[in-house]
Amino acid sequence: MAQLEYNELETILYQKPEALEEHPFHFCPGCGHGIALRLVAEIIDELEIRERAICVASIGCSVNSYEYFNFDGLESAHGRAPAVATAIKRCHPHLIPFTYQGDGDLAAIGTAEIVHACARGENITTIFINNAIYGMTGGQMAPTTLTGMYSTSTPAGRKPSLAGYPIRVCEMLSTLEGTAYISRVALHSPAAVRKAKQAIKLAFRTQLAGLGMSLVEVLSPCPTNWRVEPVKALEWLAENMLPYYPLGEYKVIDAVAALKKEDHHA
Amino acid sequence: MHEEIAIGGFGGQGVLFLGRLLTEAAFREEREVVYMPSYGAEKRGGTVWCNVTISDERIGALFIARPTIAVAMNSASLTRFEQTTRSGGVLVVNQSLVPETVAREDISIVYIPANDLAAELGDSGGSNLVALGALLACRAVVSVSRINKIMEDMLTKNPERLEINKRSLNRGYSWTQQNTQAARQV
Amino acid sequence: MFEKTLMAGNIAIAEGAISAGCHAYFGYPITPQNEILEHMSKRMPEEGRVFVQTESEIAAINMVHGAAASGCRAMTTTSSPGFSLKQEGISYLAGANLPAVIVNVMRGGPGLGNIGGAQGDYFQATKGGGHGDYRVIVLAPATVQEMMDFTMLAFELADKYRNPTIVLPDGFLGQAIEPVTMRAPVTKLPEKPWAITGAVGRAKNIINSFAMEPINDQPRIELIRQKLERIRQDEVRFESINLDDAALVIVAYGSAFRSAMTAMQMAREEGLKVGIFRPITLFPFPIKPLSDLSRKVKRFLVAEMSFGQLIEDVRLSLGADAQVELVNQFGGVPMSADEILEAIEKIMK
Repeated sequence: MAQLEYNELETILYQKPEALEEHPFHFCPGCGHGIALRLVAEIIDELEIRERAICVASIGCSVNSYEYFNFDGLESAHGRAPAVATAIKRCHPHLIPFTYQGDGDLAAIGTAEIVHACARGENITTIFINNAIYGMTGGQMAPTTLTGMYSTSTPAGRKPSLAGYPIRVCEMLSTLEGTAYISRVALHSPAAVRKAKQAIKLAFRTQLAGLGMSLVEVLSPCPTNWRVEPVKALEWLAENMLPYYPLGEYKVIDAVAALKKEDHHA
Repeated sequence: MHEEIAIGGFGGQGVLFLGRLLTEAAFREEREVVYMPSYGAEKRGGTVWCNVTISDERIGALFIARPTIAVAMNSASLTRFEQTTRSGGVLVVNQSLVPETVAREDISIVYIPANDLAAELGDSGGSNLVALGALLACRAVVSVSRINKIMEDMLTKNPERLEINKRSLNRGYSWTQQNTQAARQV
Repeated sequence: MFEKTLMAGNIAIAEGAISAGCHAYFGYPITPQNEILEHMSKRMPEEGRVFVQTESEIAAINMVHGAAASGCRAMTTTSSPGFSLKQEGISYLAGANLPAVIVNVMRGGPGLGNIGGAQGDYFQATKGGGHGDYRVIVLAPATVQEMMDFTMLAFELADKYRNPTIVLPDGFLGQAIEPVTMRAPVTKLPEKPWAITGAVGRAKNIINSFAMEPINDQPRIELIRQKLERIRQDEVRFESINLDDAALVIVAYGSAFRSAMTAMQMAREEGLKVGIFRPITLFPFPIKPLSDLSRKVKRFLVAEMSFGQLIEDVRLSLGADAQVELVNQFGGVPMSADEILEAIEKIMK
């Protein structure tokens, strides 16, 4: 077997994005957060906006997401990230603030803030991680916990008679005039991850073009609180979450569709 | 000088406007002045109140408990001012809407048919300015010409309204001079 | 030389903020301070600045958080029930060492209460109000001029200490109209190298109030503690009137202080030697000046528009042998000069 020449090794095929810090993620094995954060970092590199990006973190497992990024970031109180991002964008239109929120944060305690950011058509971007559970606090019922699903606060499974129904965020928010791009993606397979990246990138491009509110819901595995092994968690997501939370684009205004076409031609 | 003026009447009678005119005039005459309106739900129905304190010294309380001058545009405000007007003070009563009289010897009382006088001038909404004329005839807390000047500044685009306002103010002033003891005491 | 003009207290707050270089205003309608929101909706766009009417008080304080974190002077204004809703956000601001101005034009309470002026939020404003160990600087204006001046001062102090600062008038002061001398706009704003403005040519900035491990959170909390010590040392403000010969001292702030002024004049006409001590900073409370005063004067009358909140700080400041009485109103009813005079007479005659 011939030895590889040194210069043949020089082509870099894969490396840590500049927008990510050196230190490793602290998430549980099989968690989707690491993938989602990396996708955001890759996109920020590709769009060359690291010096303008602002990570508005939330509360939950996403609490110190700013620690992983190599650009400015801040904490926001539980659910309030869209309000914080609104102010940053209004005060500094050249900055690119995005919120990174979980389902408890966005769809329960922060429902008012996300709905009104969308209604106002704020030119910000939201990455919404939906893993159907409260992760950080120990697996309690989330607003997106599926009917019948076990959680530490629905020990007999979520019963609509007691706990109501899971909220479909994309469907709800896409009815609001101020939204420009709303899409639901998932992280259960390499192909799905590639599609997720395309959607998140389009969301950032929507903001860069000044077109209004963009939001990508990312269905993400939480093996620890689902109490399954990491690989099984991906299967569980596909079998249980996809039927209730169909993937796809829920809102694409014409100007965003034009952006997408541009991309396609390129 | 130090005067504490209380004005009361129905919403729509121009009570707050009367107070604002006095406040602006006192301000232009470089006095210390505080204007304190009643605010909130009573604006749309019941009795509206405002206080104007005019002084040569730093003014304390925002609210007037015992006015030196009171203007009662309706009966509800007369009920209050009948009690509270300070001894030696002036009470202007809008006789057009207030049938009651006041049994006090220690204050000067002007019963003026403010609505009727205004109506005679074709200014059905001018009862507040007629009452202001009466007040100024009794106590020159600010000058009549100052009030006229303020109205001129406010109504540059509406000379007709300005003329009507001036007439109502003057009517209240001259009527009070001609018809009451209170005015002659000044 | 700036002109004098007639102005309502609420408008003076808005104009004071504009002169202080407030770049962003966020508010939610609540009586009796709506004039601030309405005035700002017109003036901020005129100045090319940011105005947002928010979906809630909670959103407003969190927008202040975003604006402050990104280096802008920012303000929100409200009245009592809305002030309760803002407490979460104020704790986060304090926890993250962010400068911001919050105005609470107090109304009658508790609960929904009423739209009259009151001072029932004294504890909430001066003792923290939200969760955790923090305090905010609290300024209590008593004239329309001070509504403007203290709003401007609040921005200075907030930036000086990187701490939220509260302006705490009552609803009556918001509605009162008095002559005001306009102030020169602040043109030189402090540099904020810590702000999140995009990591251009520098390491990234992070603004937070959080650590995974308590031990890692100690430096942040220790900084807050030290800062509060400096504020207690350097920022005490008060006004004293006729204390030289006073046999009784009224302690009052806000519109209760205004009534106390009149009551003092009336008492002196009766030959009663009354003075006034007026805390201007409710936090830091003027503990030492009051304590010094109690070596000379033994009788105090606290006049406040609450059940007896200010009186607790007065008692804690005075010597054990001081006699402290309370005269008060509450629930949106103004404190009249006559009531205070009556209380003076009861003590002194």
